[in-house]
Amino acid sequence: MTTDRIVLSSLLADLILRQLPSGGWAALASSSQPALEPTSFAALALGSFPGGALERVQEFLLHTQNPNGSWPAFAGDESDGAWVTSLVVMALNDVVPAIPARLQGVHWLMSCAGKESNWFWKWKFRTADRHVRFDPDKFGWPWFPDTVSWVVPTAFAVLALNQLPCSCGGLEQVPFRVERGVEMLLDRVCPGGGWNAGNGVVYGVRVAPHPDDTAIALLALRGHEQEPVVQSSVQYLERVAPTLSAPWSLAWATLALAAYGRSIDSIYSSLAASPYLASVDDTSTLALVCLALDYERALSAFGVTS
Amino acid sequence: MNITRRDFLVGSAGLAAGVSVAAPFLLPKYHFDRRPPRSRVAILHAEQYSQELDRILATGLRLFPINVRGKTVVLKPNLVDYAPGDAINTHRLLVLAAAESFRHMGAKYVIVAEGPGHQRDTQLVFQQTGYEQCLRDERIRFVDLNRDELICIPLRASYMGMKSLWLPRTVLEADFLVSMPKIKTHHWSGVTLSMKNMFGIVPGARYGWPKNILHWKGIQESILDICATVPVHFVIADGIVAMEGNGPLNGTPRELGKIVLADDLVAADSTCARLMGFHPERVSHIREGSRFLGNASPAFIDQIGETVNAPATPFQVVPEFQYLRAV
Repeated sequence: MTTDRIVLSSLLADLILRQLPSGGWAALASSSQPALEPTSFAALALGSFPGGALERVQEFLLHTQNPNGSWPAFAGDESDGAWVTSLVVMALNDVVPAIPARLQGVHWLMSCAGKESNWFWKWKFRTADRHVRFDPDKFGWPWFPDTVSWVVPTAFAVLALNQLPCSCGGLEQVPFRVERGVEMLLDRVCPGGGWNAGNGVVYGVRVAPHPDDTAIALLALRGHEQEPVVQSSVQYLERVAPTLSAPWSLAWATLALAAYGRSIDSIYSSLAASPYLASVDDTSTLALVCLALDYERALSAFGVTS
Repeated sequence: MNITRRDFLVGSAGLAAGVSVAAPFLLPKYHFDRRPPRSRVAILHAEQYSQELDRILATGLRLFPINVRGKTVVLKPNLVDYAPGDAINTHRLLVLAAAESFRHMGAKYVIVAEGPGHQRDTQLVFQQTGYEQCLRDERIRFVDLNRDELICIPLRASYMGMKSLWLPRTVLEADFLVSMPKIKTHHWSGVTLSMKNMFGIVPGARYGWPKNILHWKGIQESILDICATVPVHFVIADGIVAMEGNGPLNGTPRELGKIVLADDLVAADSTCARLMGFHPERVSHIREGSRFLGNASPAFIDQIGETVNAPATPFQVVPEFQYLRAV
């Protein structure tokens, strides 16, 4: 067994140990409040891991779904989290008993859009509120309903919807929404490449990109390599990745660069040997590092081909 | 003049309708008055970020009757994002000096806690700003407020129109909460000082990155509701190198050479605004906060340490906030 496989096994074992009796995972190791983002990443990281952990998490996910088809940010909350709904839809992919719940989630995603998709707000952003540079015709998904589109929830929604085998049975609008989402991501790029939360230029000033947001957007934009902004963003990520030591950003960068066929040997080794892995408090980070160390399977789970 | 029964009924109905429409705008949106009879603010001189801050801050804190013995003290700096050479964040050496002082004063635990609003990778900001190494060396615990356990809390004011917020357990269970802002201008709220700094306790894991729902509910309104709901016990504002212009991220560093301490966050912010050359009463959350959260008027503030001298040239601001400048 190679060193990175040993590291991966040890991290997966740690992840399983953190699973709460409810079947979910909390955001932090010290917490007992199950949250949907770490739970979805953990479910994706476990893949087909033997044992009962996966069955318990699937039950947890089905149990926490809101009546309208969305998922909340954490158990006990009543919010409709667009990004967690996308993550759960991906985590439940290939789970046959979860097909109805997953479809409900997809329908909810189709009904959710950034506030700028409404004619009134579109008009406002075109005329009275132009401090942030963006095209309101190109809309995606918000973190929560009644707010505007942002890069991360849009990228996760595009990834989730791209996994659907067909756009039939009331899902005929899926290609339209995915196309708008892709346009929105391309529009919100930072000058020079890369993405941050979604504000590339504010008051005429360039705002710096973030490695994790860039990597997530690039995963959603796989298949659009011909776009100059995608090429410049891959280059940005290639430049910045070797300087990273924070596991969350490094793991996302590994996944995105692997998806685009770039050399990841160096950053993969850095990640596997990271001293931070000895004590990762954040469960989403722990799960994501597991995914990055098993990137081929992870890209498949995100519906991305390398 | 004869008033018929019909006239009376129509008039009464009109009056009732008018009152019901106007009431939300006329009734106060706060449900208590927390203003102390007098507030205390100290302006300390500090030319640069150095180990000397330990002494300066310890001396400054002795000017206040603070008792943190056996308590859990939570320091909430302004830690937003990293850009080399910029004055975006509360400087780590000031946070370390504060932690050291509160430990000396007998605090049981000192915790540093923050939830960056734009950058999801808190550890990356933490590393890049040098906080990680410093806090580890001094064995100070850091809590990522974006991912802390959450408790649903009814709001104690109603500016936003929301009834409750999910807020981090670490902040809600603190015995002594210290807001440690960076003195900066802000392109959406005019200034970002001790009150706006409390925006950072709102968890990204529940409200997104950025915490966009609060922007839609109104930034000034959100600041007031958060500060009404979570009492801040003390302020240590970093104005050694402040920021002017297109803050909070893309402004220009401006040397001010001051640290502002206060036992009242409205008094702290009105003093900081004056130091920036602004009219504090023109900042809407300071003006509204002075009705129920604290004192903005110098008549109710005991000024100790240095006096408040407005700069010869007020801080630069984006065009929408030119009216703040006292020129």
